[in-house]
Amino acid sequence: MIEIAPLAVSAADIKFGTAPVEGTILGKAVRLSPSQPLVRYSLRAKDIAVLAEALGRKLPEKIGTSLDGIARLGPDEWHALLPAGTGLPLVEGKPLAVIDVSARSVGIVVEGPGAAALIERGCPLDLAQFALGRATRTVFETVEMHLWALAPERYHVDVWRSFAPWLWNSLAEAIV
Amino acid sequence: MTGYRIPFGGRIDRSRPLTFTFDGQSYEGYAGDTLASALVAAGVTVFGRSFKYHRPRGLVATGVEEPNALISLDRGADRVTPNLRAPQISLYEGLVAKSQNRWPSLKHDVAVLNDVFGAFFPAGFYNKTFMWPRSAWEKLYEPVIRNLAGLGESPVARDPDHYDATYAHCEVLVVGGGIAGMEAALEAAAKGGRVFLIDEQDELGGGALADTTLWATVDDLRARLAAADNVTVLTRTTAFGYYHQNFIGASERLTDHVAPFAAKGAREKLWRIRAGEVVLAQGAIERPLVFNGNDVPGVMLSNAARTLALRYGVAVGRRVVVMAAHDSGWRDALALHALGIDIAAIIDMRTVVPGDLADEVRAAGIPIYPGHAVTAVSGRLAVKGVTFAAYGTGKPHKLACDAVLMAGGWTPSVHLWSHAKGSLEWSDAWGAYLPAKAIENCRVVGACAGAWDLGKGEISSALPNAMSVRKQKAFVDFQNDVKARDIHLAVQEGFRSIEHIKRYTTNGMATDQGKTSNLNALQIASNVLGKPVTDIGLTTFRPPYTPQTFGSLMGHHKDALFQPLRKTVIDDWAVAQGAVFENVSQWRRARYFPKAGEGMDAAVGRECQAVRSSVGIFDASTLGKIEVVGPDAAEFLNRMYTNPWKSLQPGRCRYGLLLREDGFIMDDGVSARIAEDRFHLTTTTGGAPRVLSMMEDYLQTEWADLDVWLTSTTEHWAVIALQGPRARDVIAPLVEGIDLSPKAFPHMAVREGTIAGVPTRLFRVSFTGELGFEINVPASEGQKVWDAIFASGKQYGITPYGTEAMHVLRAEKGYIIVGQDTDGTMTPYDMGLDWAVGKKKADFVGKRSLARPDIVAKGRKQFVGLLTEDPYEVLEEGAQIVVHPDEPVPMTMIGHVTSSYRSTTLGRSIALAVLVDGHARMGETVHIPMPEGVIRAKVTGPVFYDSEGSRLND
Repeated sequence: MIEIAPLAVSAADIKFGTAPVEGTILGKAVRLSPSQPLVRYSLRAKDIAVLAEALGRKLPEKIGTSLDGIARLGPDEWHALLPAGTGLPLVEGKPLAVIDVSARSVGIVVEGPGAAALIERGCPLDLAQFALGRATRTVFETVEMHLWALAPERYHVDVWRSFAPWLWNSLAEAIV
Repeated sequence: MTGYRIPFGGRIDRSRPLTFTFDGQSYEGYAGDTLASALVAAGVTVFGRSFKYHRPRGLVATGVEEPNALISLDRGADRVTPNLRAPQISLYEGLVAKSQNRWPSLKHDVAVLNDVFGAFFPAGFYNKTFMWPRSAWEKLYEPVIRNLAGLGESPVARDPDHYDATYAHCEVLVVGGGIAGMEAALEAAAKGGRVFLIDEQDELGGGALADTTLWATVDDLRARLAAADNVTVLTRTTAFGYYHQNFIGASERLTDHVAPFAAKGAREKLWRIRAGEVVLAQGAIERPLVFNGNDVPGVMLSNAARTLALRYGVAVGRRVVVMAAHDSGWRDALALHALGIDIAAIIDMRTVVPGDLADEVRAAGIPIYPGHAVTAVSGRLAVKGVTFAAYGTGKPHKLACDAVLMAGGWTPSVHLWSHAKGSLEWSDAWGAYLPAKAIENCRVVGACAGAWDLGKGEISSALPNAMSVRKQKAFVDFQNDVKARDIHLAVQEGFRSIEHIKRYTTNGMATDQGKTSNLNALQIASNVLGKPVTDIGLTTFRPPYTPQTFGSLMGHHKDALFQPLRKTVIDDWAVAQGAVFENVSQWRRARYFPKAGEGMDAAVGRECQAVRSSVGIFDASTLGKIEVVGPDAAEFLNRMYTNPWKSLQPGRCRYGLLLREDGFIMDDGVSARIAEDRFHLTTTTGGAPRVLSMMEDYLQTEWADLDVWLTSTTEHWAVIALQGPRARDVIAPLVEGIDLSPKAFPHMAVREGTIAGVPTRLFRVSFTGELGFEINVPASEGQKVWDAIFASGKQYGITPYGTEAMHVLRAEKGYIIVGQDTDGTMTPYDMGLDWAVGKKKADFVGKRSLARPDIVAKGRKQFVGLLTEDPYEVLEEGAQIVVHPDEPVPMTMIGHVTSSYRSTTLGRSIALAVLVDGHARMGETVHIPMPEGVIRAKVTGPVFYDSEGSRLND
């Protein structure tokens, strides 16, 4: 008989990181760290102008790009990722939706010459073509995440809170 | 010459001898050998026993097409890999290999009786014979057949290795590292862009590694590839599948070629590659000839003998006969002859061969027999000689020899091309199918495109023989033991399509997917049917190209990273309290909090009592939450839910019931109107994704005109349920900005303010029947607020409770759990939820289905309570309910128990059930037959406690 360990609950002990993990992947330096606290908003509207006016901000027009901390994720969907302490007005009475989802996700910063290789282990995007300023919803294996190209060789990964320990450890395991 | 090792040449490193064992016997080889080449060099002829007849079998090929030499590689007790092909196993010091499918030994196998009585085991034999008696199939026939017919044994220990995986992208991906593939990669590299070159062998070179005249070219191409910084070369990597839009799956073997003690890191790496263009340079596979005795060990592909000699420095025999139908066999004979191997004869089916070849062969002194065919092979564990005759029917000649080489022509490898649904075209010149029109951005080069000069040949079906095909041991599929006579039989039985012939005979259905047998089977079938090959169809190649390990396909998903386990922000606290957990969909939730020495029943009883008498605290964070925002939010919810939503005032909550289009309950939950155009919905824990996608589906496809948007906020909010008569007292000192008095903040209301200094959406709701609050705070502050509430509740004996107590408390009140008390076929009426259906509403999802004749007919199962006559008897959930327990089995079942608990509050057991016409059966006694005896229970309403609801409104 094959002894089967209780696989389904085996992830019980893994934790989200509190300290950076540094090392290399394929000989290239890479660093994984929890991001600074951020505020997050889901922004929805059919008309970009209505949303821009209500927020008093310029919004990115091209899907998959970002501008000043706001990414356009889809035809009627934007997502704000702003420094803690700032905020957006929860506008009402207009054909739009502003939803505070600050606590829904946690952020992970992946940086260094090996950053792209580390993310590409489980993310099907071609990061060589993921230029600075790009931001999109994607996956790492089975887990959904948001990926932002913030600076050269520096990515911000935003993932729903309960999936974060798994994602953190899946990234960290490849760093030697 | 020691054994069959040629004293010079080959690509092996003679300065590095290696010791290894095969079936316990020690052998020597060299670095650069494969297990196959080293064993042949040592004079081993038998590599395995065949699948069905247990015939002794030798090596046929030197590539992945090898059908016979399937080996178990033992790298330690928990690292045994069965069914590896000997020519694909790189030799290392201390390698331990074992043969398969034999008992007690390879040379003496008891099951060879199958072969002696082989005449009684034709195709279809199993299906026809082992039908009766039916009961014997499971206990006798199947286990015995499984034991006899088999491949290697599955490993039983847990795989200690780990596996890597990655995605990669490139402009051009070349599969196959022969000369054509290497040239294609260099050509692509010159254009700039990223190029991948994948090859399954230990080194680049492909077929050219068996041709010393091409080694200089190979070296040059390799050097140029190494110098190109935009080319990634992956050797020991099998491109096993070609999927949509140029997505290639490939598995790189990282450690299996080195000794176990030296193996470091991941065992294999899964490459998932998206390519702009795919260039297939898979080459071609030599085809065996089908003739009587073609499976005697020592009968092998001509090219395999050439590869063994030139690449590995190994002679397949001391006196070799070549049976050819193709020029390449003649060239191989010349190459072997040049190394000093005695070629006893070249026998060729054809009467005409190219003059220059014939002249060269004659000059070498090799006897030739054009227009002849081998009709028998003597020897059992090794070839001893052949019998051949003009056209197979003339006067027989005999020749002593210890190896027979088959040169039956070449089959271009169109496997990956076929995965990608490229079309194929029959080529008479090749006697094979060639790639024609691509669907993907893909092209083929080299031999797999039919663009390589391998010489000319004549394609026959089986070699002619005076003996009836029924009596010949002429094998087509070596791995599945299919003979030419089985194909004849299939046609005789009425099968006309190759797809049917394949399934009847199992030709091509072994792990090699018929790499050496498909075309021969096709030719034989075509011949027997008297129809051209193109009229009888072609079977399909499917991934994987060769068998792959499960580990490789699993990649990262192992052990702790097998799959995400979702935990709430209160999880650490619950662990510290010694909670017992259960998994609910992907979440893990605290089930109960036992004190020292307490079992589940005692803990749950205590937790329930605390809620009923004082206050309990519960982590409800996993509840699905959806924020519905926009001017049309109320209109949207009104269309989705069964009850009216437009009239709901901001600050108030409502129980929402969601149906599918068929009128059956899909989900439920309490939702609140936060503002005129903002709702906070809750769903069941497991139902959250399904509810969101159903709502999103309606919004995008049916009501795109509505200005409303849905956002999952499940993970934004931590939810702390505080339930019990003291609940208000506990939070009163912590809450600011909300008037908690019953009048200002009634049951089913929501307020915004702060709790412990944290902004909150405070719900006054109850799933227990007690005064209760569900405190929503941002998840990042969840633990802090929980701690504050817990401290404040100390003076009231605040008690944490888990999902089990939650289930009992709600069952006492008759509150349903969708998915437990409902099963996807229950309507609101069945569940006694008529009050939640807006009769005056013009429409909502599922409304029309609620008027369907079978939904309004009598005899539907309805939701009821059950009280057992013995108050201490706890019914089994799922137990069937009958009216007459004396009825013979199968009795008429009129329903089943959906929920059942021991209720400390009521001092007895309670149960919920669905029962045919249950609402009309109040007070009736029903029976629940169990193995220990029949249990009697009385049908009641589903509310067992505080049916007036007075405790809720305190």
